[in-house]
Amino acid sequence: MSEFLSLLDITWAGTTTLEFALLASLVWRKACRTYPFFALYVASTILQSAALFVLYRKPGLAAPTVWTIAWGTQGVVTVTRSLALIELARKVLARYTGIWALARRIVLWVGAGVVAYGLALSKGQYQWMVMGGVRGLELAMAAVIVTMLLFARYYRVPVKPFARAIAVGLCLYSSFYVVDYTLLKHVLQRYAEFWNFLGIMTFLASLLIWLHASGRYSFQEEESLPAAISPEIYGALSSEINLRLYLLNRQLERLMQMKERRP
Amino acid sequence: MTLGVALLIPFAVMLIGLLLWATRPPQTIALPGHDIFALLSQQRHCVRLRFILQALQPEDTEYLKLGGNRALMHALRADRRRIALRYLDMLQAEFKTLIEISRALAVMAPEVVAIEELQRWKLNLVFAMNCAILRWRLRLGLRPAGGFVAISRMATGMARHLEAAISRIAENAMTTPDFPEFPCNGHEGD
Repeated sequence: MSEFLSLLDITWAGTTTLEFALLASLVWRKACRTYPFFALYVASTILQSAALFVLYRKPGLAAPTVWTIAWGTQGVVTVTRSLALIELARKVLARYTGIWALARRIVLWVGAGVVAYGLALSKGQYQWMVMGGVRGLELAMAAVIVTMLLFARYYRVPVKPFARAIAVGLCLYSSFYVVDYTLLKHVLQRYAEFWNFLGIMTFLASLLIWLHASGRYSFQEEESLPAAISPEIYGALSSEINLRLYLLNRQLERLMQMKERRP
Repeated sequence: MTLGVALLIPFAVMLIGLLLWATRPPQTIALPGHDIFALLSQQRHCVRLRFILQALQPEDTEYLKLGGNRALMHALRADRRRIALRYLDMLQAEFKTLIEISRALAVMAPEVVAIEELQRWKLNLVFAMNCAILRWRLRLGLRPAGGFVAISRMATGMARHLEAAISRIAENAMTTPDFPEFPCNGHEGD
């Protein structure tokens, strides 16, 4: 077990190093201005690691106190992740005012529905309820990301590479968190260390995705404004479409009204 | 573990699957603005519907059986079914084009009506399902006339939705100086 705990410490240290590297990369490449809440989220994970490092090594603290502080830091991280997610959704869809208005409503309904479902399943002692609530939030975030990406795919809205990397990293982590936690609570509680290790590995994978994307893709393009179509072209286009559709509609209506007859 | 909790695991796994699917490069390139003219000027396959319906009537080939040419009748019916299947492919392609145009319009529109969009999603699903059913009916030699009429009705509904959307956009075109870009590819910068 002590060997396993050492491995856990090593992965924890590795994760914190990668968090620092990612934040440094975001600051160095001035991505903080484009994705301020994502940078805040990364910073909050670093602070959480530091807080937990101090907390778990401080002697004399009662277990409930440690638990409350640890989950309090998790609450802060979850809030910053939610803000990063809202920022991401705005980056991807907000330029298209028509579909953004629709997407916003659908995503909110999906998120609220999944959170409500997650909370409804959170029963028992208050510690389990808090953990179950976080699970519901994680599941809601994953569902919101997938809904947003499906929406973007349906409408052929371009998703910039870094935005896509953020979405994939967040969604993978949230989904695996739900699977991990559900199995941990109900099936494999005695292997808690192992599941913690898997959780850290999942987050490590997300960090690697983000670090790779932050080093590879340009952030300048994120700020580029869409090229506008002139009103003349647009007016001509809509008139032509209108006419063609009207003719098509008329043809179909005539076909529908036609009785089948033998030659 | 209760059923509600157990369902969380497949739900999370399904989300991962959907995530992987949604982040794939798109199969088709969206329509650049000027190409919509070309697409709209293409000939419509719907206009051939009555000939197809006529050709699929059993009575249309019944006289061959009466004349003792049963084998010829079957061969003719098989040929007509094959033609109907090709027609169905064309009809489906035409519907997809309409959907593509409606997507481009929704992206450009300053305001999208949620109910109409949901109706179009539903229409799209129902159309795909009906096409699949109709294809199997044709392959099995069943009479598909009713299915064709249903599909044509969907195309009509689709055109009506588009007409309403275009009217709204045209109204906005009078007041808005600039418009957002057409999405040219689902994954830029790769």
